Amino acid sequence: MSRINRRDFLKLYAALLAGAAFSGASPLLSSAHSQNSDKPNILIFVFDAMSARHLSLYGYARKTTPNLEKFAERASVYHRHYAGGNFTTTGTASMLTGMYPWTHRAFNYRGMIDRGLTDRNLFNLIGKEYTRAAFTQNLWADILLSQFEADLDFHLPCDSYSQFADSLMQPHALRADRDLAYYVFQDFLNLRVDDPHPYPGSLFLASADLSRALASDRHHISADYPKGLPTNHDFSYENPGVLQGIGRLVQGSLLQSSPYLGYFHFWSPHEPYNARKDFVGIFPNDLKAQVKHRHSHSASNYSEASLRKYRREYDEFIADLDAEFGRLLSELEKSGVLQNSYVIVTSDHGELFERGELGHASALMYDPVTHIPLLISAPGQTARSDFHSLTSNVDLLPTLLQIAGREIPSWSEGRILPGFGKADDPSRSLFPMVAKDNPAFQPIQHGTFTLIKGVYELFFFTGYPGHPDAFELYNLQEDPDELNDLYKKDITTASQMKDELLEAVSTANRNYQKK
Amino acid sequence: MLKYLPKSQAVLQVYAVIAVMLCAWTITAFLWKLSAWLLMLNMGEIFTVFAYAMLANLAESLIVLLLLLTASALLPPHLFRDHFVVRGTILSIGIVGSLMLFVKLDMEFGIESGARLLIGPLAGLVLTSVLLGLPPRFRLVRFLHSAIAWMADRLTVFLFILVPLFLIVLAYVAFRNIA
Repeated sequence: MSRINRRDFLKLYAALLAGAAFSGASPLLSSAHSQNSDKPNILIFVFDAMSARHLSLYGYARKTTPNLEKFAERASVYHRHYAGGNFTTTGTASMLTGMYPWTHRAFNYRGMIDRGLTDRNLFNLIGKEYTRAAFTQNLWADILLSQFEADLDFHLPCDSYSQFADSLMQPHALRADRDLAYYVFQDFLNLRVDDPHPYPGSLFLASADLSRALASDRHHISADYPKGLPTNHDFSYENPGVLQGIGRLVQGSLLQSSPYLGYFHFWSPHEPYNARKDFVGIFPNDLKAQVKHRHSHSASNYSEASLRKYRREYDEFIADLDAEFGRLLSELEKSGVLQNSYVIVTSDHGELFERGELGHASALMYDPVTHIPLLISAPGQTARSDFHSLTSNVDLLPTLLQIAGREIPSWSEGRILPGFGKADDPSRSLFPMVAKDNPAFQPIQHGTFTLIKGVYELFFFTGYPGHPDAFELYNLQEDPDELNDLYKKDITTASQMKDELLEAVSTANRNYQKK
Repeated sequence: MLKYLPKSQAVLQVYAVIAVMLCAWTITAFLWKLSAWLLMLNMGEIFTVFAYAMLANLAESLIVLLLLLTASALLPPHLFRDHFVVRGTILSIGIVGSLMLFVKLDMEFGIESGARLLIGPLAGLVLTSVLLGLPPRFRLVRFLHSAIAWMADRLTVFLFILVPLFLIVLAYVAFRNIA
């Protein structure tokens, strides 16, 4: 059913675009969406779980991103850009709402933004003047986009451009309740064969999904993909197909509807790190990484050898993706759509390969899991600009609103990015956090809070069962590997930052209770 | 046409068995997931998820019933229609039970077990065939048949809950999708 819907959708979309091209008017677009060349187009490309620490663009030892480096030659490059959290829901929600997780409240696994705050999103605030399109392969990010459904002109199904869907039912099957469709299908009725603890609510759908999984080569191993196709555990895909599809969509859409805001959130390089054969084994296993012992809050206990192996596979997957993204940019360049377009490249969170932990969304908030890339290329930009001051992904919303000439709301917790009219603020504080087991409807009692200020980073682990509250302090400039805890050594800095962080948490909880 | 179908009371008894089995599974799964949803969904949203799930149950239970009614219409009356409560119940338990076993084995042992997951459900279907084929001239078989008929009759009481519930969720989902 999902395949038919997806195909129908894409066919309808292509047909309407083609029809519009011939008739000279788009039936899909309101009069407000007519050509308006005064405003620039905005194209946001989000690569899930892409840590800035693993990009050669930012000095990583492995040459993972030659194409991003080329792109950076005519872009603003932000070197100390941080996500609002350490997994999709928090990171994406912060980026699209300009608020920290303790305000937007989407901090649980597959959580949602506070229902009273859903109008606080980029698509709504940029206004109907823009044609607003969104696509994500990440189903948790799709829950958030579904909350903004009324503010989107186009919301593509997650499995568009995919090859093999694991479940019969996909979220876009529920058109009227798309924000809840993930919970109905993926979280309840479907059997997700990769789920370690499945309990499907529908015997029929589960049996159908299970039969399909048993009857097929689930990993889709081929000569091109020796480790299997990239997958988000709900459907498999090939990056060339997905990125080319988005390229065609953008080219077709910009011809018809300008100004245009496109949000494209790709699953890669999220695990499983299934690179194409051309990229498997391209990096020798000689990277000198510091050995970091297991942290008491680590949920896993991966050996150093395993972590080295996964780190290499992750780097290969990034290199694979970078090559595809380079091709997409060339296509867009050739077609001329970049002439009046801002292109933003970023991520929702990073990835961690240390202290026994692999991946993200754990209690650990070390730099690799929150430090994300940000590149912004303005129309006609020919030179590279580098910014080394602290920035957060809550800054994207006010910055894009400024670019679009819209008013910046007072409730936004972000600031306009350096290079877009505001001077650097060396006293700036950032507050990434993880509190995924805390109820969204109550003040936050347990989680890991972070304060990043200047060169320092303070962690506050609180409310974890079996663990006393604890702080850690690092100097990211002198100790980028975060090995030397200064909390009991640099008492003055620790005390000042601790007071500021506790006050910020307390204020956030107070504001929530008042609301 | 109606003469090919069993009496409505017999249909209700068999439907009760099907609906109770499917709903029991769904409600157990729902309760298992509820604690996680309470972290992030409000009561209205949780009810909506439940409504869609119950609607899926309604559709599934009607599909099973339709299969049985089709079999009843196609087969000679003495084979199925005249013993619809007993044979329909055995078949329903066999089909739904095999699906339960299939999914439960995956929940316990994982997809890596491959085709071994099919052994349990296939054994269940074989057992169902055996039960269907047992001649009623044996006392034990007669006792079994009367026990099955009694159980199907007792389960109809749940239809007083399930049918209104199905109607409520049907109206609720229809309203959400139309409005």
